[in-house]
Amino acid sequence: MQIKEVINSLNLQLLTHTGDMQAEVTGGYASDLLSNVMGQAEPGMVWVTMQGHQNVAAVASLIGLSAVVVAGGAPVEEETLKKADANNINIAVTDLPAYVVAGQLALGITNGK
Amino acid sequence: MKTLLADFHIHTLLSPCAEIEMTPHHIVLRAAQYGVDAVAITDHNASANAAAAVKAAQQYGIKVFPGMEVECREEAHIVVLFDTLGQLADWQKVVDANMSGLKNNAERFGAQFIVDDDDNFIAEEERMLLGPLKLPAREVISRVNAMGGIAIAAHVDRPSYSLLMQLGFLPSDMGLAAAEISPMGLKELKEQKLKMPLGGLNYVTDSDAHMMDSFISGPKNLITVKDLTVAELRLAIEGTEGRSWQPGCFITRRDG
Repeated sequence: MQIKEVINSLNLQLLTHTGDMQAEVTGGYASDLLSNVMGQAEPGMVWVTMQGHQNVAAVASLIGLSAVVVAGGAPVEEETLKKADANNINIAVTDLPAYVVAGQLALGITNGK
Repeated sequence: MKTLLADFHIHTLLSPCAEIEMTPHHIVLRAAQYGVDAVAITDHNASANAAAAVKAAQQYGIKVFPGMEVECREEAHIVVLFDTLGQLADWQKVVDANMSGLKNNAERFGAQFIVDDDDNFIAEEERMLLGPLKLPAREVISRVNAMGGIAIAAHVDRPSYSLLMQLGFLPSDMGLAAAEISPMGLKELKEQKLKMPLGGLNYVTDSDAHMMDSFISGPKNLITVKDLTVAELRLAIEGTEGRSWQPGCFITRRDG
């Protein structure tokens, strides 16, 4: 499944402009501890979080995530979006709680190859 | 220049998680007895006991930095220190405007007491001091710096409430003056495991005391400064112009 299908089907609001919308989604990860995400998430995954700090864009770029979904209506800092656009990272937001986003993702995408 | 023993992260009984024995007067009295020259009063998102500590400290010749342990939106703790109670009061207004609005549950989290410089009860803080402000870390730090204060990432080695754990790494342009290593992290520090993710930040070691035993036994810093001011602390952390900052020091004597 491509990331644009995930964004469309979950009705997420995309805040960035330069990310690859055709990126293949390989799975998902949910955590608000960036140190944990750095160690556990894998390339191509969608990351569900409530953190909006600019390090979110850096971690997504470092791992090569297909997108970051900031859930629960949590604010995303302007600097985060700038950094994401500079690194071709997709960041989308939703008012849906992280649990619901992760649940819907899990129903549509299975982790692993 | 003078070389002094200092602890910049101490809670009073205003913090719900601190013991009742942690009155401002008791802290400065013990500091004097044990040869701690400077302390900072750093309650969670609160400052109402700082003035009592400053006043009580006068009779003992102890320097008190008015401060706070701020919880930013990312749910990480940042120790902030100021020169004056006026600066801290201005910062407290920013904090007040960005609190959660929840009430404290004293039975569950602990009571939050405001006292005077002679240990007399003044009031109980009703608001829940634990919990994040609506301000992101970057804004907390930049506003504190703009108000003449200094910001230190608290207990970065701990699994919870640490900027390092929440954010994965500390960006070098955040405006932090230093990163604090908790008493539990000292061994790891000696093995240099924490050096990389700190992104070149110098480190400090404080007791983060919530009870008197941990204030007395906890790590402190041996600092060489001209005066005890925030500006001098900055120079000492950077080790410039003859100042120095040696973390990982402990109390070695007891007077009186």
